[in-house]
Amino acid sequence: MAMMEEPLALPSGTVARSRPLGAFSRPRETSGLVTWLTTVDHKKIGIMYGAAALFFLIIGGVAALMIRIQLAVPDSEFLSAEFYNQVFTMHGTVMVFLVVMPIGAAFANYLMPLQVGARDVAFPRINAFSFWVFFFGGLMLNTSWFLGGGADGGWFNYAPNNGIAFSPSNGIDFWNMGLFIAGIGSLTGSVNLITTVLNMRAPGMSLMKTPVFTWMTLVTQFLLLLAIPVLTVAQILLASDRLFGANFFNVEQGADPLLWQHLFWIFGHPEVYLMILPAFGIVSEIIPTFSRKPIFGYPFMVFSGIAIGFMGWGVWAHHMFVSGIGPLSVAAFTVATMFIAVPTGVKILNWLATMWGGKIIVNTAMLFSIALVIQFTIGGLSGVSHALAAHDTQQTDTYYIVAHFHYVLFGGAFFGFIGGMYFWWPKAFGYMLSERIGKFQFWAMVIGFNFTFGPMHILGLQGMPRRMQTYSDAHGFNTWNMVATIGSFILGFSTIMILLNAFISYRKWVSAGRPDVGADPWDARTLEWSIQSPAPDHNFDHDPVVTSLDDFWHRKYQKDENGVLKQFHTGDEIAQPGNGEGVHLPAPSYWPIVLAGAIPIIGYGVIYTLWLVIPGALLMMTALYGWALEPADDLDIDDHHDDHVKELEKV
Amino acid sequence: MSTSKTRKRSLMPRSFLSRAVSLVGLAALLSACADDKPLNTFEPRGPRAQALYDLMFVSGTWYVMGIVFVLVTFGGILVVLKNKVNPDEYDPNDLPVQTHGNITLEVAWTILPAVVLAIISVFVVQTIFELEEENEPGELDVMVIGQQWWWEYRYDVDGDGFFTDANGDGVVDDADQELPLEIALDPDDVVTATEMVIPAGEQVDLVLTSRDVIHSFWIPRLNGKRDTVPGRWHTWSLEADDPGKFTGWCTEYCGLSHARMRMSVIALEPAEFDAWLANQQQQAEVPTDSDALAGREIFANQCVSCHVIDDGEFEYPENFAETVPLVSHAAPNLTHFASRSTYAGGIFGTYAGPGTDPDDDALDVSIYNQLSQLSENPDSPDDYRWNSAELKRWVANAPGQKAMASDLNPETGLGRGMLPFPQLSDEELDQVVAYLATLD
Repeated sequence: MAMMEEPLALPSGTVARSRPLGAFSRPRETSGLVTWLTTVDHKKIGIMYGAAALFFLIIGGVAALMIRIQLAVPDSEFLSAEFYNQVFTMHGTVMVFLVVMPIGAAFANYLMPLQVGARDVAFPRINAFSFWVFFFGGLMLNTSWFLGGGADGGWFNYAPNNGIAFSPSNGIDFWNMGLFIAGIGSLTGSVNLITTVLNMRAPGMSLMKTPVFTWMTLVTQFLLLLAIPVLTVAQILLASDRLFGANFFNVEQGADPLLWQHLFWIFGHPEVYLMILPAFGIVSEIIPTFSRKPIFGYPFMVFSGIAIGFMGWGVWAHHMFVSGIGPLSVAAFTVATMFIAVPTGVKILNWLATMWGGKIIVNTAMLFSIALVIQFTIGGLSGVSHALAAHDTQQTDTYYIVAHFHYVLFGGAFFGFIGGMYFWWPKAFGYMLSERIGKFQFWAMVIGFNFTFGPMHILGLQGMPRRMQTYSDAHGFNTWNMVATIGSFILGFSTIMILLNAFISYRKWVSAGRPDVGADPWDARTLEWSIQSPAPDHNFDHDPVVTSLDDFWHRKYQKDENGVLKQFHTGDEIAQPGNGEGVHLPAPSYWPIVLAGAIPIIGYGVIYTLWLVIPGALLMMTALYGWALEPADDLDIDDHHDDHVKELEKV
Repeated sequence: MSTSKTRKRSLMPRSFLSRAVSLVGLAALLSACADDKPLNTFEPRGPRAQALYDLMFVSGTWYVMGIVFVLVTFGGILVVLKNKVNPDEYDPNDLPVQTHGNITLEVAWTILPAVVLAIISVFVVQTIFELEEENEPGELDVMVIGQQWWWEYRYDVDGDGFFTDANGDGVVDDADQELPLEIALDPDDVVTATEMVIPAGEQVDLVLTSRDVIHSFWIPRLNGKRDTVPGRWHTWSLEADDPGKFTGWCTEYCGLSHARMRMSVIALEPAEFDAWLANQQQQAEVPTDSDALAGREIFANQCVSCHVIDDGEFEYPENFAETVPLVSHAAPNLTHFASRSTYAGGIFGTYAGPGTDPDDDALDVSIYNQLSQLSENPDSPDDYRWNSAELKRWVANAPGQKAMASDLNPETGLGRGMLPFPQLSDEELDQVVAYLATLD
């Protein structure tokens, strides 16, 4: 305890000179792999979230293509029923938890601190921990492929089919533990980002002067903070049933399987919104920039986002219209669900109104944003048709639903993310992505996407249930399934073109002698464009002082003496030069990755043998102590921190 | 083909209004290219499915959706095309008018959709409660029980409500729902599998439950779906306007062979239905043919630990269900196996002939009660025959025909599907199949 009290008891302005324990020094590497493993820089962590998501996207995408090959023709034997069930379960699980959510986290991590004018998030080491624990949880989930097969219960994994009697392999245990562990990352991340938005905004940036993307991040993180625990509760109950013989979902012992459905969807519906809201935030930045107008009805955009966040909690049972919850509940949730279309509709109309009368530059980022508006509208409309509970009894669990949520999550969220990548790529990496490849990718994606998922509306209304390993010729589903399969290959190819574009554009940029892309290549509106590209380690040389919404734009454009708006400065002229002298940054740390690595060991232990929990727990305790006892800063490191020490020594 | 009648009807929906509106619009287009789709939700054949159809077409939901779709899509594209500028001629000082919003407009497009949705919700709520309306007690009730991966149907013929007062204590209460759903050998009532036979033009109330995991009972042309949840008894109903075969599919993911858990409803003329019911209430006859008799002997040795055949000779213990080595503790009742046109969870046809594809709705149901006689007559004009080859393959190695976790769990001693019978010789298999053919 004495060791702990010492640094805590420091009078302000004094530096703990001696390190508590020699082993607990901060990493000293300045380049190479270790800097990535130990970084606490929100930008590097954001990039790692994105890279990890793209890695998992390949797994989920291969699974998707396998599903489409299997369903291309009737009575296909490409995949066995057993493997098909694993493939569609893992496709859904990986795409939701390990692709869409972390891409949202990538944007939030990278951009939100820049948009609010902060040097990092509130808790940098916890931020690193959040990423690593998500990544290790995701890896653990995917090791199930090699350890007896993936989960086979569907992504919502209904009880009692998720019980040991009906799914005796370890797949669902991995689903349970992997997502449980990844969920820890979401939770710690949400606390971190909420604190950052609420406490670390630049001077003058009141909440109503905060960019829409940051607002959507805030709403998203609140949804995560409150939704993940509900899933965790359900998973603990399920793990107790499967691993320790409890009876939470054992019908013979009087359990009601609908308990799982309620818990899952109380988590699952806010989950849907926390996947889409980051993309809404992204296009709310892109559309004004390239329409050269402020976002239409900023307060409505913000409050509709908040309204979606609140209403998202009151509609979960619309996933259960045929579960037998009784007509009164069904009617209540029908009405609630229909009205959640209102704030979403407001957003769509406000985006259209933003473009209305603008001077629109149609580049790749803008194309993806426009596609999001239209494709999300289609998904939203089919959503309204599900909300009509009576008719939903014909639609639910058919391909109409599959079409609906892919229009929302792929045509909506994912298109927004790709648009966001084109938009912010120069800020993150210092070079522009090729517009030519980008536009080609866009059109290939639009065509592939709509050919894949458009026909699923028809298939669903023609009665094709989802999660079917095969169908018969007599069902008459052949044509549209073949169309969807062809579309899916176009879509798969066009999706990975983002990587191709990154590679080719990088090579071109390097061979052109790495020209400076400038701080503000798009003539954009928010603070992240007021610093150099790629964003320097320390983000801002000094705290920006904000006086209005889109402050950076208003510093560039002012009214002249005749009251006409004119560009007084270019973005590059007024951008901060990127001089980090005198800036104190949080130092890197080994402990977040060690702590995160200890948790899956416990996870494997819970599944296989409890003995493994002991080394896992020991490693975890070590990591926690290491974390706690780590010196607040490493005095020997030869970078910006010196200045900080000198500053303190002066005092 | 017998479907030509059905197809003609598809162009003439019942109400004039729905006929008028179904001729226009995207939805009608989908419907028009939906020939030969036995599960099509846009071709209702009963009042419940019709109500769901009307909710979308007559009360105009599809059209509201279509209008919004066109406005946003084409409006959005037009706005972009109209306001597009050439990025090469980018002039930072050529700014558009900087509108920040318009409160009136925004309030309007918040309230307007809300009002439209409020109007639609009136129709929806009305339909939700309509769907729950049940018959007077005493009319035909059918209990639907899902299990991996087939459906069982129990008919409360004598109206004593044997499945509602399942434990026979004279009171219908919660205790009845905890019953292991053992096979009832109530001579008045009927237990069948895979195919539900109903009288056309009459509402049939259903009580739905499950013996293992959640399944969902869905006959798209007659009604929407409702889940069958173990431990819960849900109500639902079906009605077919005219005789016909209506296929369906389990629509809640239920594990390994979810894709092969199919079913159908056979709606018969009321007189035909009464004849069917009378036959089902008979016990099976012990065959006289020597092959079939030998098959019965094998059946007695190999099959009765799971399958019930009520012929008055086979004896089943009181706690029969507990002894069945399946997680669901139930296998299809085979008493009138040969009266059904499909088996194995609705994936195979018992008879070969016109319209007997289990997934097709083309079967001419006016001969449904005669299928077994037609197949006995080699000169039958319709050329129906007992599909012994397929059935033999099934009996010999069921898990090879349909993925089933048949292996008995070493801890519980329970499996989840029909076992293979490698110990049966070719001849013995023929005999079993010959025996099954007598169970009409």
